[in-house]
Amino acid sequence: MTTPQSASRPASPPRVGLFVTCLVDAMRPSVGFAALKLLRDAGCRVEVPDAQTCCGQPAFNSGDTADAAVLARRFIESFEPYDYVVGPSGSCVGMTRAHYEEVLSNDPAWSERARRLGERTYELMSFLVDVMHYTPTDVKLDSSFTYHDSCSGLRELGVHDQPRALLDKVTGLTLKPLEGNDVCCGFGGTFCVKYPSISNAVVTEKAEAIERSGAQLLLGGDLGCLMNMSGKLKRQGSKVRSLHAAEVLAGMGNGPAIGEED
Amino acid sequence: MSARETILNAVRAGLDNRKVDAEAVRREADALLQDLDAVRPELPAGALVDAFIARVTSPKVAATAERIKDVNELPAAVRRYLDLHKLPPSVALQPAAVLKNLSWHGLETRGEVAADDIVGVGIARWGIAETGSLVFHSNPETPILANFLPLYHIVMVHESAIVAFLDDYAAVVVGQRPPRNVNLITGASGTTDIEGSLVLGAHGPAHLHVVIVKDTPEL
Amino acid sequence: MQEATVSFKARAERALADPTLKLAIDRTTGTAERKRAVAMTQFPQFEAARERGKRIKDHVIANLDHYLLEFERNAIESGAKVHWASTAEEASQIVVSLCKQANAKRVTRVKSMLGEEIGLPHALDEAGIERVETDLAEHIVQLGGDRPSHIVWPSMHRTREQVSDMFKRAHRVPHQEETIEAMVASARRELRDKFLSADVSISGANFLIANTGATCTVTNEGNAELTTTPPRVHIVTAGIEKLVPSIEHAFLMLRLLVRSATGADVTQYTTFHCGPKQPGDRDGPEEFHIVLVDNGRTRMLRDAALKEMLRCIRCGACMNHCVVFRQLGGHVYGGTYPGPMGAVLTPVFDGLESSRDLPHACTMNGKCQEVCPVAIPLPTLLRGWRDRSWREGLEPTAARFGLSIHTFVASHPRLYRLGTAIAIKVMRLFSRGGLVRGMPGLGAWTKHRDFPAPARRSFMAMYKNSENKR
Repeated sequence: MTTPQSASRPASPPRVGLFVTCLVDAMRPSVGFAALKLLRDAGCRVEVPDAQTCCGQPAFNSGDTADAAVLARRFIESFEPYDYVVGPSGSCVGMTRAHYEEVLSNDPAWSERARRLGERTYELMSFLVDVMHYTPTDVKLDSSFTYHDSCSGLRELGVHDQPRALLDKVTGLTLKPLEGNDVCCGFGGTFCVKYPSISNAVVTEKAEAIERSGAQLLLGGDLGCLMNMSGKLKRQGSKVRSLHAAEVLAGMGNGPAIGEED
Repeated sequence: MSARETILNAVRAGLDNRKVDAEAVRREADALLQDLDAVRPELPAGALVDAFIARVTSPKVAATAERIKDVNELPAAVRRYLDLHKLPPSVALQPAAVLKNLSWHGLETRGEVAADDIVGVGIARWGIAETGSLVFHSNPETPILANFLPLYHIVMVHESAIVAFLDDYAAVVVGQRPPRNVNLITGASGTTDIEGSLVLGAHGPAHLHVVIVKDTPEL
Repeated sequence: MQEATVSFKARAERALADPTLKLAIDRTTGTAERKRAVAMTQFPQFEAARERGKRIKDHVIANLDHYLLEFERNAIESGAKVHWASTAEEASQIVVSLCKQANAKRVTRVKSMLGEEIGLPHALDEAGIERVETDLAEHIVQLGGDRPSHIVWPSMHRTREQVSDMFKRAHRVPHQEETIEAMVASARRELRDKFLSADVSISGANFLIANTGATCTVTNEGNAELTTTPPRVHIVTAGIEKLVPSIEHAFLMLRLLVRSATGADVTQYTTFHCGPKQPGDRDGPEEFHIVLVDNGRTRMLRDAALKEMLRCIRCGACMNHCVVFRQLGGHVYGGTYPGPMGAVLTPVFDGLESSRDLPHACTMNGKCQEVCPVAIPLPTLLRGWRDRSWREGLEPTAARFGLSIHTFVASHPRLYRLGTAIAIKVMRLFSRGGLVRGMPGLGAWTKHRDFPAPARRSFMAMYKNSENKR
């Protein structure tokens, strides 16, 4: 498990490759644009490599390491030219940062490339705080939020304080703590469709905890988990609105939430 | 091939049939016992006996404790305990000479502990401040059942026999031939097997009272 | 296993539909989780202790042959008889024949998960030997005629009302009052004379101490000592991975074990059993047998993907903190050991084919690894089983087909963009008011929750457009 080190801010604007992630690409582009804006505001030169597709996590977690390796090599080739790789998802970044070496362990040269790229690959919140020492300014949102710490970001990348520190700077926004904020929401990638009843039982408890927090907004750093939790909240007729933390930080907190008409 | 050989061969195969260097293994095992303070809880500052008593009477151990100046005061302490808990004036003594030789005036005593005894009185060889544990070694004067049959267990331990940590007890007995049983007893018998609720007196004693004696032990 | 005929998913559905079970699980695991959390705040040395514990177990495993022989030598020296068993059947047969040799009518047992693993309760019953379970939870399991559902709280699945009914039917002098205290007292009365009149006692071991030949049991009830002292024969069954070099090492492991299991700092009773009754001893067994059991452990040792599991000290913290276990309880797992550690171990004992669901029914959230007192990377080991299941062709054809298509498409960005665009169009077709409430192929999701409608165009499409305008 790696925890990002707090280094001093890069002297010149770093060249960042934005790792959009497939869910954000297909389902919720606003998270990608929010990430783009935040990274630019933080002083990065951001590019979006055209060749990026999927990081291979579904294959990896299904035991299909060979297919995961195919996609891992593609990912490394696409992102190697950049100073940093940043993605708005702890789970996808965790895959590339914590697992690519293992996926490619049969091939020392590729495994080494994976390791070197992994060291420069960051989850968005952690990159903004730990590398860019970024503080949002002039962001307002009159609301209250509760925060779910997605498991991969929390345990594989040590993302916990960073999103809270950033959200703390949003004027008018108050945190209502979530009971069991570090307990899995039951998404688990393909788990939620392979074992839907178990997943449902887990997310039902999570939705209850979110309601109990009394917050108006549910924020998090992983779209998969947010879709799972918001999908349950919506089904139960909850008034809680769900957004990716990046959207709020980029001033898009009043836009359509997950599952609201655009 | 016997199961023994099969297993040992399979273990060796699993370890790439490397050559065992017993001396190196021992050095490595010893190294794992270095810097114990880094891997065990801290004791509160102050006298060991105070730390021990604090621990014994803490909610985690939930026993009671008192101090006496001399072993001859034990019968009176037992008497007070019986009165306090409205228990009949009858106790089973662990068959130790030290206990037998005390003056148990006014109390009915038996030298064997039976299945349905209410109160048993025993002597622990050591106390451990870290955990509030009492240590018993089985021997002719210390049958093991005596620690488990009574409903109320009153245990005397000498102040000088209180050590700081579990490791300190281990250091005291290192190299000695172990008794059949070493019992570390920490509080009364309890169970959380029904809905996680703690109930005392599951099979062993429901109440533990520790009496700490000031004088030196006859070890 | 009695439930092997029903599929994992069917067992899971049944458990999920049982609100009493959920209540029982929550009460026990919830308490365990809270108490462990408190214990951790009082033990800031935990991280260092856990690293040390991991190193101790790794050291033992790396020198297992050495320690097995040292233990055997010292145990024999203390007067014990040491037996070796390669398989579960061998182990339980050794125990049964020792009981027969002792002419045993009644045998008392101390809870031991290894005993369950080797099928000992069943083997004793088959042999017509009266078996008395003395651990309160195992007593409840025995009366209920089922199996343990947790490795620390075997009767976790029973509510107090169910226990009360069982005791009233089975006990000679049952409780009158409907309190847990009264029920515990009823069991105490019921079992006391059985403790004292048994011919043979059987226990497990939490640790085997190599340099003395002693075995260590930890209990809170005191049943281990009451069980193993009166009978003429005491038999210990233990897995070969239970070794530690010395009592000092055992104490370091004990600090981790108990805090992780129950949140206490130490169990009420920690006992080291070394050989039979010694000259002059007033009680204790005449014969002391130790059965060292392999049952798959040496296979795990040879397997890089499983070797780390040999560190496991059976504390149960992984299951207490597992979101899946806390919904299902232990029986659904179908093996001796439930929860994350059980999902790693059951395929070792029962084969992957019949247990392939176990390593898959996990969200990979990593909490189990975080709380493990010997830092076993449980998600990695579970993924190892998934890899194997994939390689051995045990995964459904649809999943294999789906993933290879996905990889092909994801390897061709233009095709991938096209696929994304089509998927977006289709999903939007099924959406109403920003939500998809049902759609072919999405049923597993939409049965329980809504699916958000995707934006009109993908990020990549919109980004290209905006960059072209810039």
